[in-house]
Amino acid sequence: MNSAFRNVHITASRLINPKPFSSSILHFLPLCSGDASPRRSNPLRHRNSVSPSSSFPFCSTSSFSSFYIPMAGGDGQVSHSLEKQFESFRVQLEESAALREQIRAVVMEIESATRLIQANLLLVHQSRPIPEVIEKAKEKIVDLKQYYGRLAEILEECPGQYYRYHGDWRSETQAVVSQLAFMHWLETGTLLVHTEAEEKLGLNSLEFGLETEDYLTGICFMSNDLPRYVVNRVTAGDYDCPRKVMNFLTDLHAAFRMLNLRNDFLRKKFDSMKYDLRRVEEVYYDVKIRGLISGGDPPGVQAVQGQS
Amino acid sequence: MSTESSMKDAFSTYADYLNNFNEKRERVVKVSRDITMNSKKVIFQVHRLSKDNKEEVLEKAGKDLEAVRDQHFARLMKELQGTDFWKLRRAYSPGVQEYVEAATFYKFCLSGTLCTLDEINTTLVPLSDPSLEPLQINILDYILGLADLTGELMRMAIGRISDGEIEFAQRICQFVRQIHRELMLVVPKMDDSYDMKSKMEVMLQSVIKIENACFSVHVRGLEYIPLLGDNAPTSYLLGAADVE
Repeated sequence: MNSAFRNVHITASRLINPKPFSSSILHFLPLCSGDASPRRSNPLRHRNSVSPSSSFPFCSTSSFSSFYIPMAGGDGQVSHSLEKQFESFRVQLEESAALREQIRAVVMEIESATRLIQANLLLVHQSRPIPEVIEKAKEKIVDLKQYYGRLAEILEECPGQYYRYHGDWRSETQAVVSQLAFMHWLETGTLLVHTEAEEKLGLNSLEFGLETEDYLTGICFMSNDLPRYVVNRVTAGDYDCPRKVMNFLTDLHAAFRMLNLRNDFLRKKFDSMKYDLRRVEEVYYDVKIRGLISGGDPPGVQAVQGQS
Repeated sequence: MSTESSMKDAFSTYADYLNNFNEKRERVVKVSRDITMNSKKVIFQVHRLSKDNKEEVLEKAGKDLEAVRDQHFARLMKELQGTDFWKLRRAYSPGVQEYVEAATFYKFCLSGTLCTLDEINTTLVPLSDPSLEPLQINILDYILGLADLTGELMRMAIGRISDGEIEFAQRICQFVRQIHRELMLVVPKMDDSYDMKSKMEVMLQSVIKIENACFSVHVRGLEYIPLLGDNAPTSYLLGAADVE
């Protein structure tokens, strides 16, 4: 009897798509089923699905007294309310998926505008005058403002769900903040604070705002660029830069230490700021001991310079 | 330096914001863990179901479920007002999914029907303080919880077959197939489609196990029951149904 069973099983399983599904070798379906679904055809990779109303020997009418689950109004009614619910789910999820598509399109624009700003700002490493570089970059900020405005509009369709989709613009926004903060520092030597950053992008915290953690992460990214800037400025003969950057970064790092950070991404970025600060201090030291800093150095150091 | 002090002022507001948010997140994680634990208890309780004790078992399970709502969901609700509902989702989602699993499992054993999202949410409305927004489970957590339900139903089906309650198992079989089909269409559009895809694979395995068990019963008929749990060659098909 066993071998008869095995033969039936093997034949049956060969008829089904041989694509293996983990270790189960026994999927065996009554082969009478066709695709009974009246809805859109879905490529069912593994097997035909059986419609709920297909005949199954024991289920519909049974006189066994142990069948104690009351079937509320019979199978048809049960299926119907279930199907209605899933129909509504499909509609809702179509909507949210469509919304996501729209968001992604805008975020891609934000990303390319940010790259343009970044490419412009990089010219300061090559000693282009700051005002000129910043002028160009500022033009792009107008675009950014527009894109964030568009995002805010899209989100108006689903009030309260900023955080549902936030992941879709989180890293791009951090990059934006980093460029804006760098620009701001080049212009003013000070830190762009959260509220100022929000304003520049035309955001407001009541509707579509700048998330504080995104802002802080963006600031950390900005600090990552400072050591390189300092090195290049010194090479170009600007010996004042290291001191300015060092003071700024020291203050910034101290301010960050006021935050009680958990072991997350922001914490890692903050940790890297320490290395940025150290690098800048090294450059400052290099410049200082060689007496390259104009004014304020003791005469002894200047005499040493003559020898080296 | 004035810039330094204004930096410090700004950062002290950021520090406050982060502290408050992290503390809230901690509280939500704690509630979520409590909900998970207590929902699992409901599931274990329902698994004790048999021919003889259905009413008591389900009555206790119903009460326990209610306790989860009254004691724990009420706490959750306070924390998740406004945008925090979505902001803190990662913190509470596991608990809510477990609750959905427990509630749908209980409902199915009670009435053979699926507890819909609207039904679940209706039970949560009375908890609310009129000044607060009622906590409503979102569609994603409901679907994720439902995906886990099929695993429990699989265990129950196999268990009921051992007890000789074949029709119950077949009813389960039909039900999980339907759920599986419906969910298949919904998966790609979900926010967490990656998690959901792996749940779907597990779900299919559960469906297959139930179907194999029903097949064994069908083929063996009355011979079946005495051979349960037997590792002898004659029950090789049944033995294999337990293979992971």
